[in-house]
Amino acid sequence: MMDVEGFMRHMLCDRQRWDRVLSSPLTYTLLGGVLRLTRGNWPLDAMYQMGVFAFNETGRAYVGKAPVVWSSAFFPVELAWGLGLCPFSPEVAAAYIATLGFGEETMSMGEQAGYSRDICSFHRCIAGAASAGNLPRPAALLASTHLCDGAPLLFQNLAALYGAPLLALDIPYNSSPEAVRYVAGQLEQLWLSLADVTGQRPDRDKLAEAVRCSERFRVQMQRVNELRCRVPSPVSGNDMLGFVYLFFVGQGSREAAEIAAGLAKEIERRVAGLGRSGQTGTQTEKYRLLWMHLKPYYNNELMKFVEQDGGVLAMEEFSHVYWTPLDPEQPFLSLARKTMSHFAFKPVTERIRVMAELARKYRVDGIVHFSHHGCRTASGGALMIKEALRDEGWPVLVLEGDCIDGRNEACGGMLTRMQAFLEILQERKLGCAL
Amino acid sequence: MRLMITAGIDVGSLSTDAVLMRDGETLSQIIINTGAMARSAAERAFGLALSAAGLRASDVDAVIATGYGRMSVSFADSQVTEISCHGRGSAWLSPKVRTVIDIGGQDSKAIRIDGKGNVVDFLMNDKCAAGTGRFLEVMAQRLELELAELGREDQQAARAAQISSMCTVFAESEVVSLIAQGVPRPEIVRGLHRSIAERTAGLANRLGLAPEVMMTGGVAKNPGVVRALSEKLGAKIILPPEPQIVGALGAALIAQQKHARQSV
Repeated sequence: MMDVEGFMRHMLCDRQRWDRVLSSPLTYTLLGGVLRLTRGNWPLDAMYQMGVFAFNETGRAYVGKAPVVWSSAFFPVELAWGLGLCPFSPEVAAAYIATLGFGEETMSMGEQAGYSRDICSFHRCIAGAASAGNLPRPAALLASTHLCDGAPLLFQNLAALYGAPLLALDIPYNSSPEAVRYVAGQLEQLWLSLADVTGQRPDRDKLAEAVRCSERFRVQMQRVNELRCRVPSPVSGNDMLGFVYLFFVGQGSREAAEIAAGLAKEIERRVAGLGRSGQTGTQTEKYRLLWMHLKPYYNNELMKFVEQDGGVLAMEEFSHVYWTPLDPEQPFLSLARKTMSHFAFKPVTERIRVMAELARKYRVDGIVHFSHHGCRTASGGALMIKEALRDEGWPVLVLEGDCIDGRNEACGGMLTRMQAFLEILQERKLGCAL
Repeated sequence: MRLMITAGIDVGSLSTDAVLMRDGETLSQIIINTGAMARSAAERAFGLALSAAGLRASDVDAVIATGYGRMSVSFADSQVTEISCHGRGSAWLSPKVRTVIDIGGQDSKAIRIDGKGNVVDFLMNDKCAAGTGRFLEVMAQRLELELAELGREDQQAARAAQISSMCTVFAESEVVSLIAQGVPRPEIVRGLHRSIAERTAGLANRLGLAPEVMMTGGVAKNPGVVRALSEKLGAKIILPPEPQIVGALGAALIAQQKHARQSV
C-alpha cells in the first residue's frame, strides 16, 4: 500500500506544478483520506493522529478560514491557540518540503532571493517557498529572539514581503525575577496586539484553556518519557522525532494534548505486552543512543542505517520536557518561565548537565550530536559538549550534517562516521571484535 | 589443526588493497588502482593476493571489506569501517601507537586507539579535497610532476613558499601565481606540504594527540608531508613498512578475531 509521502510524490511527479499542489487546501483533504487508508501501517496510532491533526491544520491555513499566524520554533504558540487562530510553523513546512524531495528547488529560490548558502537551510527553504508564494499568507508573524537568532531576522524580511506585522518577543539571557516579569509583560502586550491585528476578541478564559491544554500536553509527554526509560526501548526514537510538530505547533491545542495522552496510553499498553505485536520493546536494540538536535529530512539513509545496525534512539534532546507546570490562572508568567527555561538558552554547561542527566536516566551507550550546518546555537558548543560528556564516560559523535540541504553532504562519509561510532559502541559494550 | 586464513580488502578512492593472513602472518599483499569499478577492483585485488599466496578462494575462512567501497564487495563476510581497520592494523604493527593519522585519496582521519587497537575516538575530514591525496594529485599535475616525485622535490627546497589557501581550487590558483613569479618548484612543493600538514595537525589536535603517532594511507609515502606534519605536531611519526595496506591488514586481523570467536 502506498504511504502518504509516496502518494504526495506521485501527485507531485510533475515538478512544474508541485508548488500549486502543496499550496492547495484540497491536497490536505486528499492526504487525510490516504492517511485513513494507511492507519494500520503506522508504528504508533498517535503518529496517525498527529498526521490527521497536521493535515487538518495545514489545510485550514491554506483555506484561510481563521487568520494564520506564523510562529518560530520556540515561540510560546499557546498565545495563538488562545485566540482561536491558526498557527503555522514554517520550519516544519521546510522539513516537509525536504522530505517530499523539493528542498533543493525551494532553497535555490531562497538563494536567488538573496539568502546566502551559509545561513540555515530551514530559513533558505522558508524564504524560497515564501518568495514563490507557496506558503499560507500570514496575518502576523511571531518570533522570539532566543535559541534561533536567524528566525527573527528572517521573519522581519517575510513580514515586509507579506505586509504583515512581526510581533517579536525579546528574551533576555538571564532568568531573574525581573527578567521573567519583563517577558510576561511582553507576552501580555503581544497577545493583545495579536488579537488586534487578527480582529479577535482577547478572551482570558480562552487563553487559560489553551494554557490548560498545554499543561496537559506537558504532563502526558512527561509520562511518555518516563515509559521510555525501559530497556529495550518501547518506541523508536526516530518515530518520536516526528512528534516535534506537536512541540512546535501543537502546544496549547486540545488535539496535541489528546494525541500525547493517546501516545502515553499506547506505550503503556505496549510495555504491558498488549500492543499490536505483543512485543514490549524494540527487538533489534543493540545500542541505546541519546540523539541531540534534529535529523536529516531530505532523502537520506542515515536514520534507517542507525536502526538497521541495532541503534535505537532511547531519547532525543527535542523530546525532553524541561519546563515546570503551567498555571492557567497566570498564563503570561507561566509561559514566560517556560520559554525562558530552555536549557540551551544558558551557558553550554547547562546543556551538558541536562544531556548527562538524560544519558544516565535512559541508560544510553553513546550520544550523537547531529550538528546542523546553519545552527550556530546548537553546533557552537558541540566540541565542549563532546569533551565534557566523554569525560563522564560516554562516547560522543559530533555528526556534521544538514537537516534540509543534502547538496553539501557526502552520504557515504556520514554513514562511515555513524558506522565507526557504532563499532566503538560494540567494542565497549560487548568487549569483542566487530 | 589447519591454521585460519583471512583476507582484508580495502576499497579506497584511489587504490584497492588486499592482504591475506594466516594466524598473524602476512601471506600476501596487493595494491592496485581502484579505477571506475570498485566491485571489480576488489575481485581483482583478492584474486591477485590469492595467486601471490598460492591459494584458492575456498581456502580463505573469512573476508572483511573496508574502505569507501566496502559495501560493493559482495564476496566479503562483513564490512567494517576503515576507521576501525586502520586502528587495528596500526596497533598490530606497533602496539605503542595511540594516534593514527590516515591521509587517503579523498579524506583524512585522526584516530585515537587503545592498547588493543580499539578505536576510542576519531575525527574525519571528507568535506573537501583539502589535505588529502587528491589535493597533492592536482598540485603535482599543475607542477608537471609525478605524485611520487613530490617528496624528492621537497628535499631540494631551501625554504617553503607561502601557500595560504587550504581549498584545492584556491591553492591551485596560488600555485599558478607562484609559478608566474618564478618561485622555484621545490619551494612551492614544500609550501604545499606545509599546507597539508597545517590542516592535518588541526584535525589531530582537535582530537587530542596522544603519542605514539603513526601515519597511514598513501600520502604517508611522501616524506615531505611526513616531515612537515612531524614538525607541526612536534611529535615523531612512525611509518609502517607499507602505509597503504594498513586498512586491509586491519580488516584481515579483525576477520581473524571474529572468525575465531565464531568458531569457539
